[in-house]
Amino acid sequence: MSLKPPHVGSPETLNRGIASPGVPTTDFHDLMMAALSSLRQQALALTRNRSDADDLVQTAVANALAAKNSFEPGTNFRAWMGSILRNRFLSDCRRRRPAASIEDAPPTSLARSGGQEESLAMKELQRHLARLPADQRLLLMMISVQGVSYEDASAQMGIPVGTLKARVSRTRAQLRSWILGEAPARPLLKGARPRGRLDLKLAPEAGRTPQADREFHGRWLT
Amino acid sequence: MASATQKARRAREAAPDAAFDLWLDRGLNNMFGKLAEDPIPPELIALIETSRKDS
Repeated sequence: MSLKPPHVGSPETLNRGIASPGVPTTDFHDLMMAALSSLRQQALALTRNRSDADDLVQTAVANALAAKNSFEPGTNFRAWMGSILRNRFLSDCRRRRPAASIEDAPPTSLARSGGQEESLAMKELQRHLARLPADQRLLLMMISVQGVSYEDASAQMGIPVGTLKARVSRTRAQLRSWILGEAPARPLLKGARPRGRLDLKLAPEAGRTPQADREFHGRWLT
Repeated sequence: MASATQKARRAREAAPDAAFDLWLDRGLNNMFGKLAEDPIPPELIALIETSRKDS
């Protein structure tokens, strides 16, 4: 699968999370730097809380640095790193709530607004995004905001491309149903919780291949 | 093969979906997109640079 080589920016642009055009790099640490902004977005999609997201990224980066010898140069770094982040999130959830059902951390505001008040529509969207399983939220954000290809998302999540496309389509339909108050023709998402509760199976430890995470809980209809 | 009437009905049904999808994408970008412009926490950069020096 294809992935554009990440570009490394100057220290100034790196600190702003922006990679300026440059020579493609294969250096592990440069790849990590270039991926940080993307990882922070994915962490926020999973945790819905900026503080937790920063902690998650910090831990995942530390795990990845400790396991850097397991990364095969020339392969899909972002998929590898994203898998570590996702597995770390699942492990943290399981550690906080040993029981089968867990509850997401209370969300802080996700939307950035110019003033004190957020639009009601954004609050509504935020509320319903919280009802989605974390993996679903992550996938939707990756495809819709980050522009990740389905092929790269498949590599990261260990889920076939066709399945991912169907999931994104059903996620959008589910959100539409909730937000517009329309009753779907059939149940769309069996795993969606009224209050954002998640049922998770413990994912493999960080560093395991995405293929080992096929059992991540989502209770998809197909 | 779908008739012209069926095609027209499907097009009408798809229009609200397209409008919602556009709204949803804008909302998602509002929530997550701007984070990419935020400065990276210094401690995160320090973590990576320390590893680089130790390599």
